[in-house]
Amino acid sequence: MTATTEVRTTEAAKPRLRRGRSLRVSPGLLAALPVLIFLALAFAAPLLAVFGYSFMPEGTFDFTFPPTFENYLAVFSGSYYISFAKSLGLALVTVVLLMVICWPIAYGMAKLFGRWANLMTLAIIIPLFVSENIRLFGWMLFLIKGGVFLGGLKAWLGFDGESILYDVPAIVLGLVYVYLPFTLFPMVLGISMVSREVTEAAFDMGASRWQVFREIELPLATPGILIGGLLTFILSLGSLAESKILGGQAVIMIADEIETAFTFGQNWPLGSALSVILILFSGTLVLTLLSWVDLDRILGRGGND
Amino acid sequence: MQFDRRSLLRYTAAAGALGLAGPMAGTAFAAREKELNILCWEGYNSDEVLDPFRRKTSASVKAESGTSDPDMINKLRAGEVNVWDVINLNQPWARDQMWPEGLIKPLPQERFEPYFANMMAPYGKEYPWCYSPDGKELLGMVQRFGPFNFVVNTDKVSRATAEDEGFNLFNEASNAGRYGILTYDNWNIYHMCIGAGLDPFVKHSEAEIAAFEKVARAWFKGAKLLTDDLVAMNLALINGEIDFYLTGGTYTASPARLDGATNIRGITPKKGPLAGGKGGITWVEITSVVNNPNGSPLALDFLEYVQDPEVCHAVAFAEGTYNPVTQMANPQVFEKFSSEELDAIQWDSLEEELSNTVDYQINPDYDVMDKIYNAAKREA
Repeated sequence: MTATTEVRTTEAAKPRLRRGRSLRVSPGLLAALPVLIFLALAFAAPLLAVFGYSFMPEGTFDFTFPPTFENYLAVFSGSYYISFAKSLGLALVTVVLLMVICWPIAYGMAKLFGRWANLMTLAIIIPLFVSENIRLFGWMLFLIKGGVFLGGLKAWLGFDGESILYDVPAIVLGLVYVYLPFTLFPMVLGISMVSREVTEAAFDMGASRWQVFREIELPLATPGILIGGLLTFILSLGSLAESKILGGQAVIMIADEIETAFTFGQNWPLGSALSVILILFSGTLVLTLLSWVDLDRILGRGGND
Repeated sequence: MQFDRRSLLRYTAAAGALGLAGPMAGTAFAAREKELNILCWEGYNSDEVLDPFRRKTSASVKAESGTSDPDMINKLRAGEVNVWDVINLNQPWARDQMWPEGLIKPLPQERFEPYFANMMAPYGKEYPWCYSPDGKELLGMVQRFGPFNFVVNTDKVSRATAEDEGFNLFNEASNAGRYGILTYDNWNIYHMCIGAGLDPFVKHSEAEIAAFEKVARAWFKGAKLLTDDLVAMNLALINGEIDFYLTGGTYTASPARLDGATNIRGITPKKGPLAGGKGGITWVEITSVVNNPNGSPLALDFLEYVQDPEVCHAVAFAEGTYNPVTQMANPQVFEKFSSEELDAIQWDSLEEELSNTVDYQINPDYDVMDKIYNAAKREA
């Protein structure tokens, strides 16, 4: 075979090759199509509907009106900032408390407990099979005046105490209790990424326990901590049941405002505007934080270490 | 049966074709003889009420409850008039909104009016909310009802004191921290109006709306607990976390009373700013037939079915809350109730309470007051 023929063959093959390459791409796309269609219908379409409604006039129930910003104006000119700020504050407090509570547990599960860690994992996961409302109602029966805790104290010690229900501490308790697994498990994953050799080397070089924690373990476990914190923060920000069941609505959460607008208020556009603001806020936060974290490293796909 | 790849394909194709043909078949043949969709307050959607009807008709009966009357009407307005066959709401909505908007259709009077002979006063044939404003069309049938004002623990506040004080109980600064608010928003707004000395069912001046706002803010500030869960509220009342709560009545107190907590009692104030100097409000549900272009013929049968004495009792004591029914004037219905059940629904004071109340109506300033109410709740 001469060189000329070879060139011609290559050139002739080019379009086919190109077609071949595009065909090679399309099966994947084709295979993903059902999922894409499902996502478009089940995930994107409702969000788009909410987005669309947020620009409709107050108290309307379809998209046939000229768009307006009145709902956003109502949100920003009213006192909704209180609910946003309080929800944000509660979510932050929950994340900070859970970081402190979960670190020793996660450290133990990743490094110390050995096979007992599996048992602990089960003990934390099994209650998740019970509805959140029922678990919170259980806490209410435990904490209420004359309930398991105060009733028990009175019966056994004659001590007549006041319950912590219907106030902010009860809401925080509920949030910490419900979202503990969401902080804990990513944190366990993060800590398990800290190799024993690295900490041992640090100790050998004379680092104190505090230095090892601050300069070795914490930075290396950061991706897991961040993911756990983020999950907990977003879930707490959109929470509703803890304030309703344990807190006696001492704090009106932003999710509660959205629910009220859609139900008793019968003002879908206002509820939609509140939802869009919450989604934008949470979305920006997630994307910003995730851009700091290397997900591949967390999932062990490695490559850059 | 041998199930190979070819038969799988064949059945899948057949199922797909059926799926595609389904919606068209529905409109073409109007085959809804064996299905019924009910939009209702909770209770009518319970198996105790629906199962005998399902057995009797072999029909597929689906029922769904909403969070408020407007919530359910807006479902119809948003196009679900094609979905529902029966709608069950409090008294003002059929005559004042659903009928003028063409969302419901009239009932055959010769078939349903005889049932009025068995109704308690004032729910007989002359009860205006069952009819169109001109009195010519029958728009629905009444059944569950009850005074709905506030609830006390009679160990802490006597019935006599509560009835005399009325909603002023919540105005007294010394009572801050002693009460809860069951957040049925629209009802709270009515009761806050009464607390401000206003009739909630008329158009209000700016000064009156300001008076409402003052009460709303004070009551939210003084409330120890807000919840939309009547069980949680009763629990707080029984355990002494609170001594009374507003927005409540037979509907909310009856489950606690049937469980033996007869110190939990719905209260109707003896006097107040409502029409005729009345101090409280009573709701009664009216069940109507939706103006569904492809409505189920079972809708009318269902309306007739719930008049049966056995079913009347099942409706009164369906899961969740227990309520008197207007058919209790019929001895055959009344005898179905045990003495404990009668005590749970406060039968002893029911007539007296009814005489101190007016009918629940639409508040013309609801939208304005709802905004004030939510701001007051948020800022408390």
